[in-house]
Amino acid sequence: MAVTTDSVALNEWVPCGWLGQVPLGGQMDTVIFGQKISITRSDDDCYRVETLPEDGSSGRQLPVQTRYCCIFTTLGEAKRPLPEIAEFDEPDRRVTGCGSVGVNTSPYRLVENFLDMAHFSFIHTDILGAPDRTEVLAYKTEHRKDVDEIWAIDCTFYQPAASKASATGQMTQYVYRVMSPFSVMLYKNVHCDPTRNDAICVFIQPKGETECLAYMPMAIVDENSSTADLIDFQQSIFLQDRVILENQRPALLPLDPTYELPTRADASSIAYRRWLKAMNIKFGIYEKQAA
Amino acid sequence: MSLEQDRWTGVGLDRQVQAASSNPVILDGQALALWRGEDGPVRVWEDRCPHRGMRLSFGFVRGDTLRCIYHGWAYRTDGQCVEIPAHPDLAPPKTICANSYPAESRYGIVWTNLSGAGSAALPDFGADEGWEPVRSIYVDRPASVVREALHSFDFGDVSEVRMNGGSAALVRVRSGLEILFAVQPVSDGKTALHAVAKGQGVAGRRADLARRLERLRATIERA
Ligand code: FES
Ligand SMILES: [Fe+2]
Repeated sequence: MAVTTDSVALNEWVPCGWLGQVPLGGQMDTVIFGQKISITRSDDDCYRVETLPEDGSSGRQLPVQTRYCCIFTTLGEAKRPLPEIAEFDEPDRRVTGCGSVGVNTSPYRLVENFLDMAHFSFIHTDILGAPDRTEVLAYKTEHRKDVDEIWAIDCTFYQPAASKASATGQMTQYVYRVMSPFSVMLYKNVHCDPTRNDAICVFIQPKGETECLAYMPMAIVDENSSTADLIDFQQSIFLQDRVILENQRPALLPLDPTYELPTRADASSIAYRRWLKAMNIKFGIYEKQAA
Repeated sequence: MSLEQDRWTGVGLDRQVQAASSNPVILDGQALALWRGEDGPVRVWEDRCPHRGMRLSFGFVRGDTLRCIYHGWAYRTDGQCVEIPAHPDLAPPKTICANSYPAESRYGIVWTNLSGAGSAALPDFGADEGWEPVRSIYVDRPASVVREALHSFDFGDVSEVRMNGGSAALVRVRSGLEILFAVQPVSDGKTALHAVAKGQGVAGRRADLARRLERLRATIERA
Protein backbone atom coordinates (compact mmCIF):
# COMPACT_ATOMS: atom_id res chain seq x y z
CA MET A 1 0.00 0.00 0.00
CA ALA A 2 1.51 3.31 -1.07
CA VAL A 3 1.51 6.29 1.29
CA THR A 4 -0.83 8.97 0.01
CA THR A 5 0.71 12.17 -1.31
CA ASP A 6 -2.48 14.15 -0.76
CA SER A 7 -1.42 16.91 1.64
CA VAL A 8 -5.04 17.88 2.33
CA ALA A 9 -5.65 14.46 3.85
CA LEU A 10 -2.22 14.25 5.48
CA ASN A 11 -2.75 17.52 7.33
CA GLU A 12 -5.70 16.19 9.35
CA TRP A 13 -5.56 14.71 12.82
CA VAL A 14 -6.70 11.08 12.77
CA PRO A 15 -7.06 8.46 15.49
CA CYS A 16 -4.57 5.60 15.48
CA GLY A 17 -5.55 3.67 18.61
CA TRP A 18 -7.77 3.86 21.65
CA LEU A 19 -6.55 4.69 25.10
CA GLY A 20 -5.64 1.49 26.84
CA GLN A 21 -5.06 -0.43 23.65
CA VAL A 22 -1.28 -0.19 24.05
CA PRO A 23 -0.13 -1.77 27.33
CA LEU A 24 2.06 0.26 29.67
CA GLY A 25 5.62 -0.06 28.45
CA GLY A 26 4.31 -1.76 25.32
CA GLN A 27 4.16 -1.05 21.64
CA MET A 28 1.69 -1.41 18.76
CA ASP A 29 1.99 -1.05 14.97
CA THR A 30 -0.76 0.25 12.74
CA VAL A 31 -1.23 2.14 9.45
CA ILE A 32 -2.57 5.58 8.52
CA PHE A 33 -2.92 6.76 4.92
CA GLY A 34 -0.85 3.78 3.82
CA GLN A 35 2.00 4.70 6.18
CA LYS A 36 3.07 2.19 8.81
CA ILE A 37 3.42 3.76 12.23
CA SER A 38 4.42 2.52 15.64
CA ILE A 39 2.91 3.60 18.95
CA THR A 40 4.80 3.15 22.21
CA ARG A 41 3.48 3.92 25.66
CA SER A 42 5.92 4.84 28.40
CA ASP A 43 3.48 6.07 31.03
CA ASP A 44 -0.24 6.23 31.77
CA ASP A 45 -0.95 8.99 29.31
CA CYS A 46 2.38 9.22 27.57
CA TYR A 47 2.42 7.95 24.00
CA ARG A 48 5.01 8.28 21.31
CA VAL A 49 4.11 7.77 17.64
CA GLU A 50 6.59 7.43 14.83
CA THR A 51 6.62 6.33 11.23
CA LEU A 52 8.05 2.92 10.32
CA PRO A 53 9.77 3.37 6.95
CA GLU A 54 9.67 0.31 4.68
CA ASP A 55 13.44 0.37 4.18
CA GLY A 56 14.11 -0.08 7.88
CA SER A 57 15.62 3.38 8.35
CA SER A 58 14.72 5.26 11.49
CA GLY A 59 11.30 6.82 11.60
CA ARG A 60 10.03 10.33 12.02
CA GLN A 61 8.37 11.28 15.28
CA LEU A 62 4.78 12.44 14.87
CA PRO A 63 2.67 14.78 17.01
CA VAL A 64 0.38 13.05 19.52
CA GLN A 65 -2.76 14.05 21.40
CA THR A 66 -4.97 11.92 23.58
CA ARG A 67 -8.66 12.83 23.83
CA TYR A 68 -12.10 11.33 23.48
CA CYS A 69 -10.74 7.89 24.43
CA CYS A 70 -8.43 7.94 21.39
CA ILE A 71 -4.80 8.51 20.49
CA PHE A 72 -4.59 11.05 17.65
CA THR A 73 -1.71 11.79 15.34
CA THR A 74 -1.02 13.46 12.00
CA LEU A 75 1.49 12.86 9.22
CA GLY A 76 1.37 16.45 8.01
CA GLU A 77 0.95 19.88 9.52
CA ALA A 78 -2.45 19.99 11.11
CA LYS A 79 -4.43 22.98 9.88
CA ARG A 80 -7.22 22.57 12.40
CA PRO A 81 -7.14 21.58 16.07
CA LEU A 82 -9.00 18.60 17.44
CA PRO A 83 -12.66 19.54 17.84
CA GLU A 84 -14.03 20.85 21.13
CA ILE A 85 -16.80 18.61 22.40
CA ALA A 86 -17.86 20.03 25.74
CA GLU A 87 -20.13 17.11 26.67
CA PHE A 88 -17.12 14.92 27.29
CA ASP A 89 -16.12 17.16 30.20
CA GLU A 90 -19.46 17.08 32.03
CA PRO A 91 -18.93 15.14 35.26
CA ASP A 92 -22.11 13.05 35.21
CA ARG A 93 -21.63 11.81 31.65
CA ARG A 94 -21.00 8.18 30.85
CA VAL A 95 -17.95 8.44 28.61
CA THR A 96 -17.04 5.26 26.80
CA GLY A 97 -14.76 4.43 23.92
CA CYS A 98 -16.42 1.42 22.30
CA GLY A 99 -13.08 0.31 20.82
CA SER A 100 -12.70 0.30 17.06
CA VAL A 101 -14.36 -1.57 14.22
CA GLY A 102 -12.77 -2.32 10.85
CA VAL A 103 -14.72 -1.35 7.74
CA ASN A 104 -13.60 -1.87 4.16
CA THR A 105 -14.73 1.28 2.43
CA SER A 106 -13.61 4.87 2.07
CA PRO A 107 -13.80 7.04 5.19
CA TYR A 108 -16.33 9.35 3.54
CA ARG A 109 -18.87 6.58 3.01
CA LEU A 110 -18.72 6.04 6.77
CA VAL A 111 -19.28 9.71 7.52
CA GLU A 112 -22.22 9.89 5.13
CA ASN A 113 -23.82 6.81 6.60
CA PHE A 114 -23.56 8.38 10.04
CA LEU A 115 -25.17 11.61 8.78
CA ASP A 116 -28.03 9.76 7.13
CA MET A 117 -31.48 9.43 8.68
CA ALA A 118 -33.19 7.96 5.61
CA HIS A 119 -31.76 4.51 6.19
CA PHE A 120 -32.97 4.11 9.80
CA SER A 121 -36.26 2.45 8.86
CA PHE A 122 -34.56 -0.01 6.53
CA ILE A 123 -31.27 -0.92 8.16
CA HIS A 124 -32.09 -0.33 11.85
CA THR A 125 -35.70 -1.45 11.62
CA ASP A 126 -37.68 -1.22 14.88
CA ILE A 127 -34.72 0.40 16.66
CA LEU A 128 -33.79 3.70 15.03
CA GLY A 129 -36.64 3.68 12.52
CA ALA A 130 -40.07 2.17 11.89
CA PRO A 131 -41.02 0.58 8.57
CA ASP A 132 -44.18 2.67 8.34
CA ARG A 133 -42.57 6.00 9.32
CA THR A 134 -39.87 6.57 6.77
CA GLU A 135 -40.26 10.28 6.11
CA VAL A 136 -37.28 12.57 6.61
CA LEU A 137 -38.55 16.05 7.41
CA ALA A 138 -36.76 19.09 6.07
CA TYR A 139 -33.70 20.16 8.03
CA LYS A 140 -31.03 22.80 7.61
CA THR A 141 -27.37 22.45 6.77
CA GLU A 142 -24.69 25.05 7.22
CA HIS A 143 -21.01 25.47 6.63
CA ARG A 144 -19.71 27.17 9.79
CA LYS A 145 -16.84 29.10 8.35
CA ASP A 146 -15.31 30.16 11.70
CA VAL A 147 -14.53 26.54 12.59
CA ASP A 148 -14.76 25.17 9.04
CA GLU A 149 -17.30 22.52 10.00
CA ILE A 150 -20.47 21.23 8.35
CA TRP A 151 -23.57 21.18 10.56
CA ALA A 152 -27.04 19.78 10.02
CA ILE A 153 -29.60 21.21 12.44
CA ASP A 154 -33.31 20.81 13.20
CA CYS A 155 -33.25 17.17 12.24
CA THR A 156 -36.09 15.00 13.53
CA PHE A 157 -36.96 11.38 13.02
CA TYR A 158 -39.42 8.99 14.59
CA GLN A 159 -37.60 6.25 16.49
CA PRO A 160 -39.12 3.16 18.12
CA ALA A 161 -36.11 2.60 20.44
CA ALA A 162 -33.73 5.54 20.12
CA SER A 163 -31.23 4.42 22.75
CA LYS A 164 -30.50 1.84 25.40
CA ALA A 165 -32.54 3.95 27.86
CA SER A 166 -35.73 4.34 25.82
CA ALA A 167 -38.82 2.34 26.65
CA THR A 168 -41.14 3.79 24.02
CA GLY A 169 -40.97 5.45 20.62
CA GLN A 170 -40.13 9.14 20.30
CA MET A 171 -39.55 11.90 17.81
CA THR A 172 -35.79 12.19 18.19
CA GLN A 173 -34.13 15.56 17.60
CA TYR A 174 -30.74 15.34 16.02
CA VAL A 175 -27.94 17.78 15.38
CA TYR A 176 -25.09 16.53 13.20
CA ARG A 177 -21.64 17.96 13.06
CA VAL A 178 -18.82 17.12 10.65
CA MET A 179 -15.61 18.30 12.29
CA SER A 180 -13.15 17.10 9.64
CA PRO A 181 -13.25 14.90 6.54
CA PHE A 182 -12.60 11.97 8.89
CA SER A 183 -14.72 12.80 11.92
CA VAL A 184 -18.39 13.31 12.55
CA MET A 185 -20.69 13.37 15.54
CA LEU A 186 -24.29 13.74 16.52
CA TYR A 187 -26.23 15.18 19.40
CA LYS A 188 -29.57 13.53 20.06
CA ASN A 189 -32.11 14.41 22.68
CA VAL A 190 -32.12 12.34 25.81
CA HIS A 191 -35.19 10.33 26.66
CA CYS A 192 -35.37 11.35 30.31
CA ASP A 193 -34.16 14.96 30.12
CA PRO A 194 -35.25 17.28 27.29
CA THR A 195 -32.59 19.84 28.15
CA ARG A 196 -29.65 17.56 27.42
CA ASN A 197 -28.18 15.70 24.46
CA ASP A 198 -26.26 12.48 24.11
CA ALA A 199 -23.05 13.06 22.15
CA ILE A 200 -21.89 10.24 19.90
CA CYS A 201 -18.80 10.56 17.72
CA VAL A 202 -17.16 8.63 14.94
CA PHE A 203 -13.46 9.25 14.44
CA ILE A 204 -12.05 7.41 11.46
CA GLN A 205 -8.55 6.04 11.05
CA PRO A 206 -8.03 5.73 7.28
CA LYS A 207 -5.55 2.86 6.92
CA GLY A 208 -5.89 3.03 3.15
CA GLU A 209 -8.31 4.57 0.67
CA THR A 210 -10.90 1.84 1.22
CA GLU A 211 -9.82 0.45 4.58
CA CYS A 212 -10.81 2.12 7.82
CA LEU A 213 -11.00 1.69 11.54
CA ALA A 214 -13.91 3.50 13.17
CA TYR A 215 -13.74 4.70 16.77
CA MET A 216 -16.98 5.64 18.45
CA PRO A 217 -16.47 7.56 21.67
CA MET A 218 -19.65 8.78 23.29
CA ALA A 219 -20.76 10.88 26.24
CA ILE A 220 -24.16 9.65 27.33
CA VAL A 221 -26.69 10.73 29.94
CA ASP A 222 -27.94 7.43 31.32
CA GLU A 223 -27.77 6.45 34.97
CA ASN A 224 -29.11 2.96 34.61
CA SER A 225 -27.60 1.06 31.69
CA SER A 226 -24.30 -0.70 32.22
CA THR A 227 -21.34 0.43 30.16
CA ALA A 228 -21.33 -2.95 28.47
CA ASP A 229 -24.96 -2.44 27.44
CA LEU A 230 -24.26 1.03 26.05
CA ILE A 231 -21.39 -0.32 23.99
CA ASP A 232 -23.40 -3.33 22.83
CA PHE A 233 -26.18 -1.08 21.61
CA GLN A 234 -23.84 1.15 19.59
CA GLN A 235 -21.91 -1.78 18.17
CA SER A 236 -24.96 -3.75 17.11
CA ILE A 237 -26.18 -0.65 15.25
CA PHE A 238 -22.79 -0.21 13.67
CA LEU A 239 -22.57 -3.81 12.52
CA GLN A 240 -25.87 -3.35 10.67
CA ASP A 241 -24.32 -0.39 8.87
CA ARG A 242 -21.14 -2.23 8.05
CA VAL A 243 -22.93 -4.68 5.76
CA ILE A 244 -24.16 -1.73 3.74
CA LEU A 245 -20.90 0.18 3.82
CA GLU A 246 -18.90 -2.71 2.44
CA ASN A 247 -21.31 -3.19 -0.45
CA GLN A 248 -21.56 0.29 -1.90
CA ARG A 249 -20.07 0.64 -5.38
CA PRO A 250 -17.70 2.23 -5.92
CA ALA A 251 -16.15 2.07 -2.47
CA LEU A 252 -14.39 5.36 -3.20
CA LEU A 253 -16.60 8.43 -2.93
CA PRO A 254 -17.82 10.01 -6.17
CA LEU A 255 -18.09 13.80 -5.92
CA ASP A 256 -19.79 14.25 -9.29
CA PRO A 257 -23.44 14.99 -8.39
CA THR A 258 -24.68 13.27 -11.54
CA TYR A 259 -22.98 9.98 -10.72
CA GLU A 260 -24.97 9.42 -7.53
CA LEU A 261 -28.30 11.18 -7.34
CA PRO A 262 -29.33 12.75 -4.04
CA THR A 263 -32.72 13.83 -2.79
CA ARG A 264 -33.74 16.39 -0.14
CA ALA A 265 -33.03 13.99 2.70
CA ASP A 266 -29.39 13.94 1.57
CA ALA A 267 -28.86 17.64 2.21
CA SER A 268 -26.11 16.88 4.73
CA SER A 269 -24.33 14.53 2.34
CA ILE A 270 -24.60 17.15 -0.41
CA ALA A 271 -23.06 19.78 1.86
CA TYR A 272 -20.32 17.35 2.93
CA ARG A 273 -19.42 16.45 -0.67
CA ARG A 274 -19.31 20.11 -1.71
CA TRP A 275 -17.03 20.86 1.19
CA LEU A 276 -14.72 17.95 0.29
CA LYS A 277 -14.63 19.11 -3.30
CA ALA A 278 -13.84 22.69 -2.31
CA MET A 279 -10.93 21.58 -0.13
CA ASN A 280 -9.67 19.59 -3.14
CA ILE A 281 -9.10 16.38 -1.22
CA LYS A 282 -8.03 13.48 -3.45
CA PHE A 283 -7.42 10.61 -1.06
CA GLY A 284 -10.30 8.10 -1.20
CA ILE A 285 -12.16 10.03 -3.89
CA TYR A 286 -13.52 8.31 -6.99
CA GLU A 287 -12.29 9.77 -10.26
CA LYS A 288 -14.40 8.58 -13.16
CA GLN A 289 -12.29 7.03 -15.90
CA ALA A 290 -12.36 9.10 -19.03
CA ALA A 291 -14.54 7.36 -21.63
CA MET B 1 -19.78 0.88 -20.50
CA SER B 2 -20.08 1.83 -24.14
CA LEU B 3 -16.59 0.43 -24.46
CA GLU B 4 -18.01 -3.05 -24.03
CA GLN B 5 -18.05 -5.40 -26.98
CA ASP B 6 -21.35 -5.66 -28.78
CA ARG B 7 -22.17 -9.28 -28.03
CA TRP B 8 -24.67 -11.38 -26.14
CA THR B 9 -23.37 -13.38 -23.23
CA GLY B 10 -25.24 -15.92 -21.14
CA VAL B 11 -25.15 -14.90 -17.48
CA GLY B 12 -27.28 -17.59 -15.86
CA LEU B 13 -29.90 -20.27 -16.22
CA ASP B 14 -33.33 -18.72 -16.39
CA ARG B 15 -34.72 -21.24 -13.95
CA GLN B 16 -32.09 -20.37 -11.34
CA VAL B 17 -33.37 -16.83 -10.98
CA GLN B 18 -36.27 -17.34 -8.63
CA ALA B 19 -39.40 -15.26 -8.65
CA ALA B 20 -39.14 -12.15 -6.43
CA SER B 21 -35.36 -12.38 -6.08
CA SER B 22 -32.27 -10.33 -6.91
CA ASN B 23 -28.92 -12.01 -7.51
CA PRO B 24 -25.32 -10.86 -8.05
CA VAL B 25 -23.45 -11.82 -11.22
CA ILE B 26 -20.13 -10.59 -12.56
CA LEU B 27 -19.55 -10.31 -16.29
CA ASP B 28 -16.18 -9.09 -17.59
CA GLY B 29 -15.52 -7.56 -14.17
CA GLN B 30 -18.82 -5.67 -14.23
CA ALA B 31 -21.12 -6.28 -11.28
CA LEU B 32 -24.68 -7.02 -12.37
CA ALA B 33 -27.93 -7.72 -10.56
CA LEU B 34 -30.21 -10.33 -12.12
CA TRP B 35 -33.67 -9.92 -10.74
CA ARG B 36 -37.18 -11.11 -11.41
CA GLY B 37 -40.47 -9.70 -10.21
CA GLU B 38 -43.12 -11.87 -8.69
CA ASP B 39 -43.76 -12.92 -12.26
CA GLY B 40 -42.28 -11.93 -15.59
CA PRO B 41 -38.87 -12.12 -17.19
CA VAL B 42 -35.41 -11.70 -15.69
CA ARG B 43 -33.91 -8.19 -15.75
CA VAL B 44 -30.21 -7.46 -15.94
CA TRP B 45 -29.13 -4.24 -14.24
CA GLU B 46 -25.94 -2.63 -13.15
CA ASP B 47 -25.44 -3.75 -9.55
CA ARG B 48 -25.41 -0.21 -8.23
CA CYS B 49 -28.23 1.91 -6.91
CA PRO B 50 -28.22 5.36 -8.55
CA HIS B 51 -28.80 6.96 -5.14
CA ARG B 52 -25.76 6.07 -3.05
CA GLY B 53 -24.27 3.10 -4.87
CA MET B 54 -25.65 0.23 -2.79
CA ARG B 55 -25.59 -3.06 -4.66
CA LEU B 56 -29.04 -3.77 -6.04
CA SER B 57 -28.41 -7.51 -5.79
CA PHE B 58 -29.00 -6.97 -2.04
CA GLY B 59 -32.39 -5.47 -2.87
CA PHE B 60 -35.80 -6.97 -2.26
CA VAL B 61 -38.66 -7.41 -4.67
CA ARG B 62 -42.24 -6.27 -4.07
CA GLY B 63 -44.64 -7.01 -6.91
CA ASP B 64 -42.76 -5.88 -9.97
CA THR B 65 -40.51 -3.34 -8.29
CA LEU B 66 -37.00 -3.86 -7.01
CA ARG B 67 -36.28 -1.98 -3.80
CA CYS B 68 -32.82 -1.00 -2.73
CA ILE B 69 -32.05 -2.24 0.75
CA TYR B 70 -30.31 0.94 1.93
CA HIS B 71 -33.02 3.60 1.71
CA GLY B 72 -35.82 1.60 0.14
CA TRP B 73 -35.98 3.42 -3.19
CA ALA B 74 -38.25 1.41 -5.50
CA TYR B 75 -37.47 0.83 -9.17
CA ARG B 76 -39.92 -0.28 -11.84
CA THR B 77 -38.94 -2.97 -14.35
CA ASP B 78 -37.84 -0.30 -16.86
CA GLY B 79 -35.41 1.09 -14.27
CA GLN B 80 -37.39 4.21 -13.41
CA CYS B 81 -37.44 5.09 -9.70
CA VAL B 82 -41.06 5.27 -8.57
CA GLU B 83 -40.81 5.75 -4.81
CA ILE B 84 -38.48 7.45 -2.35
CA PRO B 85 -39.62 6.50 1.16
CA ALA B 86 -37.87 9.50 2.76
CA HIS B 87 -40.28 11.69 0.81
CA PRO B 88 -43.55 9.79 0.45
CA ASP B 89 -45.30 12.67 -1.30
CA LEU B 90 -42.59 13.31 -3.85
CA ALA B 91 -42.88 11.95 -7.38
CA PRO B 92 -39.29 10.88 -8.12
CA PRO B 93 -37.74 12.85 -10.98
CA LYS B 94 -37.47 11.05 -14.31
CA THR B 95 -33.70 11.36 -14.13
CA ILE B 96 -33.51 8.80 -11.33
CA CYS B 97 -33.25 5.59 -13.23
CA ALA B 98 -31.34 2.36 -12.59
CA ASN B 99 -28.90 1.44 -15.33
CA SER B 100 -30.30 -1.57 -17.16
CA TYR B 101 -28.98 -3.81 -19.92
CA PRO B 102 -30.88 -5.73 -22.56
CA ALA B 103 -31.96 -9.14 -21.29
CA GLU B 104 -33.32 -12.04 -23.32
CA SER B 105 -34.18 -15.54 -22.32
CA ARG B 106 -33.46 -18.18 -24.94
CA TYR B 107 -32.79 -21.91 -24.59
CA GLY B 108 -33.33 -21.54 -20.87
CA ILE B 109 -30.37 -19.16 -20.59
CA VAL B 110 -30.49 -15.47 -19.68
CA TRP B 111 -28.43 -13.44 -22.17
CA THR B 112 -27.33 -9.86 -21.90
CA ASN B 113 -25.36 -7.35 -23.96
CA LEU B 114 -23.28 -4.84 -22.02
CA SER B 115 -22.81 -2.57 -25.01
CA GLY B 116 -26.41 -1.53 -24.44
CA ALA B 117 -27.74 -0.45 -27.82
CA GLY B 118 -26.12 -3.45 -29.43
CA SER B 119 -27.04 -4.68 -32.87
CA ALA B 120 -25.46 -8.12 -32.55
CA ALA B 121 -27.85 -11.04 -32.90
CA LEU B 122 -28.62 -13.48 -30.12
CA PRO B 123 -26.85 -16.84 -30.50
CA ASP B 124 -28.99 -18.93 -32.78
CA PHE B 125 -29.11 -22.71 -32.41
CA GLY B 126 -32.57 -23.26 -33.81
CA ALA B 127 -35.91 -23.42 -32.08
CA ASP B 128 -36.25 -22.39 -28.46
CA GLU B 129 -38.26 -25.46 -27.47
CA GLY B 130 -37.11 -28.58 -25.72
CA TRP B 131 -34.08 -27.29 -23.84
CA GLU B 132 -33.66 -28.47 -20.28
CA PRO B 133 -31.41 -26.67 -17.80
CA VAL B 134 -28.49 -28.81 -16.60
CA ARG B 135 -26.43 -26.63 -14.31
CA SER B 136 -23.88 -23.83 -14.07
CA ILE B 137 -20.26 -24.39 -13.16
CA TYR B 138 -17.61 -21.89 -12.18
CA VAL B 139 -14.07 -22.49 -13.36
CA ASP B 140 -10.92 -20.81 -12.08
CA ARG B 141 -9.51 -20.28 -15.57
CA PRO B 142 -9.85 -17.60 -18.26
CA ALA B 143 -12.61 -17.96 -20.84
CA SER B 144 -10.16 -18.69 -23.67
CA VAL B 145 -8.93 -21.80 -21.84
CA VAL B 146 -12.48 -22.93 -21.09
CA ARG B 147 -13.56 -22.53 -24.74
CA GLU B 148 -10.59 -24.57 -25.86
CA ALA B 149 -11.42 -27.31 -23.38
CA LEU B 150 -14.99 -27.59 -24.68
CA HIS B 151 -13.57 -28.77 -28.00
CA SER B 152 -11.68 -31.70 -26.62
CA PHE B 153 -13.63 -32.86 -23.60
CA ASP B 154 -15.25 -36.28 -23.62
CA PHE B 155 -19.00 -35.73 -23.40
CA GLY B 156 -19.66 -39.20 -24.73
CA ASP B 157 -19.49 -39.83 -28.46
CA VAL B 158 -19.14 -36.26 -29.78
CA SER B 159 -19.98 -35.74 -33.42
CA GLU B 160 -19.68 -31.97 -33.64
CA VAL B 161 -18.69 -28.89 -31.62
CA ARG B 162 -19.95 -25.58 -32.94
CA MET B 163 -18.85 -22.26 -31.48
CA ASN B 164 -20.91 -19.14 -31.75
CA GLY B 165 -18.70 -16.06 -31.58
CA GLY B 166 -16.99 -17.21 -28.40
CA SER B 167 -19.95 -16.84 -26.10
CA ALA B 168 -21.69 -20.13 -26.82
CA ALA B 169 -20.80 -23.67 -27.88
CA LEU B 170 -23.05 -26.46 -29.07
CA VAL B 171 -21.85 -29.99 -28.50
CA ARG B 172 -23.63 -32.73 -30.48
CA VAL B 173 -23.38 -36.25 -29.19
CA ARG B 174 -24.12 -39.16 -31.55
CA SER B 175 -26.79 -40.57 -29.28
CA GLY B 176 -28.93 -37.61 -30.33
CA LEU B 177 -28.19 -35.35 -27.39
CA GLU B 178 -27.26 -31.70 -27.77
CA ILE B 179 -25.56 -29.72 -25.03
CA LEU B 180 -25.43 -25.95 -25.25
CA PHE B 181 -22.88 -24.02 -23.22
CA ALA B 182 -22.97 -20.30 -22.59
CA VAL B 183 -19.48 -19.05 -21.73
CA GLN B 184 -19.46 -16.14 -19.29
CA PRO B 185 -16.09 -14.47 -18.65
CA VAL B 186 -16.31 -13.39 -15.01
CA SER B 187 -12.91 -11.80 -14.52
CA ASP B 188 -9.47 -12.36 -16.00
CA GLY B 189 -9.02 -15.77 -14.41
CA LYS B 190 -12.59 -16.90 -13.82
CA THR B 191 -15.29 -18.22 -16.12
CA ALA B 192 -18.84 -19.42 -15.64
CA LEU B 193 -20.42 -22.05 -17.89
CA HIS B 194 -24.17 -22.40 -18.14
CA ALA B 195 -25.31 -25.67 -19.67
CA VAL B 196 -28.64 -26.73 -21.11
CA ALA B 197 -29.42 -29.88 -23.05
CA LYS B 198 -31.99 -31.23 -25.43
CA GLY B 199 -32.69 -34.49 -27.20
CA GLN B 200 -33.77 -38.01 -26.45
CA GLY B 201 -34.04 -38.98 -22.82
CA VAL B 202 -32.56 -35.71 -21.68
CA ALA B 203 -34.53 -35.68 -18.46
CA GLY B 204 -33.11 -39.03 -17.39
CA ARG B 205 -29.54 -37.98 -18.19
CA ARG B 206 -29.42 -34.78 -16.18
CA ALA B 207 -27.56 -36.33 -13.28
CA ASP B 208 -25.03 -37.96 -15.60
CA LEU B 209 -24.50 -34.65 -17.42
CA ALA B 210 -24.06 -32.75 -14.18
CA ARG B 211 -21.36 -35.25 -13.18
CA ARG B 212 -19.60 -34.83 -16.51
CA LEU B 213 -19.65 -31.05 -16.05
CA GLU B 214 -18.07 -31.43 -12.66
CA ARG B 215 -15.37 -33.56 -14.32
CA LEU B 216 -14.97 -30.92 -16.99
CA ARG B 217 -14.31 -28.30 -14.37
CA ALA B 218 -11.79 -30.50 -12.58
CA THR B 219 -10.04 -31.34 -15.87
CA ILE B 220 -9.69 -27.69 -16.89
CA GLU B 221 -8.41 -26.60 -13.50
CA ARG B 222 -5.92 -29.46 -13.37
CA ALA B 223 -4.40 -28.62 -16.75
S1 FES C 1 -28.48 3.67 -2.04
FE1 FES C 1 -30.19 2.70 -2.87
S2 FES C 1 -31.83 3.72 -1.99
FE2 FES C 1 -30.13 4.78 -1.23
FE1 LIG D 1 -26.89 3.41 10.39
